Amino acid sequence: MSQVIDAKGKPCPQPVILAKQAIAQGETEFVIEVDNTTAVGNLQRMAGNQGYSAQVAEEGGVYRLTMVKTGEAADCAAAESGMQPKTYTVFVGRDIIGDGDRTLGTNLMRMFFYTLTESEDLPVSICFMNAGVKLPAGDEQVTEHLKKLVDRGVQVLVCGTCLNFFGIADQLQIGTVSNMYDIVSQMQAAGKVISL
Amino acid sequence: MDYGVITFTSTHGAIYAQQVLKGVAPFVTMPVLREISKGCGISVRFSPEDLEAVRSAIEASDLLQTEFAFYAVTGSGKALRADPIL
Repeated sequence: MSQVIDAKGKPCPQPVILAKQAIAQGETEFVIEVDNTTAVGNLQRMAGNQGYSAQVAEEGGVYRLTMVKTGEAADCAAAESGMQPKTYTVFVGRDIIGDGDRTLGTNLMRMFFYTLTESEDLPVSICFMNAGVKLPAGDEQVTEHLKKLVDRGVQVLVCGTCLNFFGIADQLQIGTVSNMYDIVSQMQAAGKVISL
Repeated sequence: MDYGVITFTSTHGAIYAQQVLKGVAPFVTMPVLREISKGCGISVRFSPEDLEAVRSAIEASDLLQTEFAFYAVTGSGKALRADPIL
C-alpha cells in the first residue's frame, strides 16, 4: 500500500519538503494530503520537475495527491543527454533597480522589462522575492510586460511568503505563487542567474 | 505610425513628463530607441490616437520646447523608422 503523508494544516513549504523527502527515500508511489490549493499547485510543479505525475482528488476541503514516478527528473534527463542549454533565470529581489533615487529606479525597472519583452532571448523564468513581489502585484506597466512574457512561455514565480508579508497576496496580477524550493530549483537548473 | 515616442534632454524632464501625462493618456516608459539615440536614456511611448492629447499636455507643461522631442515610430527590428514629429 502507498505511503500516505498527512500535510494538512502544515504551512508552506512543509508539504513540498515532506514530498521531496519521500522521493529522496525512493518512493515511486505515495499519497500526500493537503488542505489548500497553493500547496496543491506547489506539489504539482515539484512533481513535474521530479518526473512524477500528480493526480488530485478533493473531498471535504482535503486534497489528496497521488504521486507516481513516470520518468526521470527534468534536470537529470538534460544532463544525461549531454545538452547544456543556454538558459538563464532572472531573480528580482527588489522593486527598483539599483540604489539612489526610487523614482529613477522604478523607471529603470520598467524599462528593463520593456526591453526584455522586446528581446528574442528570453529567460526560462523570472523569480520575484522580497519587495520584488510588489511588481507583479502592483506595477501596471511591469505587469503588462510580464503577461506578454508568460504568453511566450516564460515562467513567472512569485514568493508567496513575501506576498503575505506585504499583505498583497490578493493583488497579484500575473505569475504563480511559489516558494523557496521552486525558486532555488530554477536557479540551480539555469545556465546563469541574473540578479536585479 | 505604429506608436509615438517622446525623448527628453534630461532624466528629470522624463520623470516630470510622466507626472504630467498621468490621467491624460496611457503611456509606457521605455529606453530611448537606438535609432534616435538623442537625449537621456528614458523615453515615453504612447498610442498614435493619443498624439494630440499628449502633445497638448507636454506643451502646456513647464518643459521648454528645447527639452523634449516627439517621434513617430513605424516597423520594428531593422525595418524600424523613427521620424521626428515637428
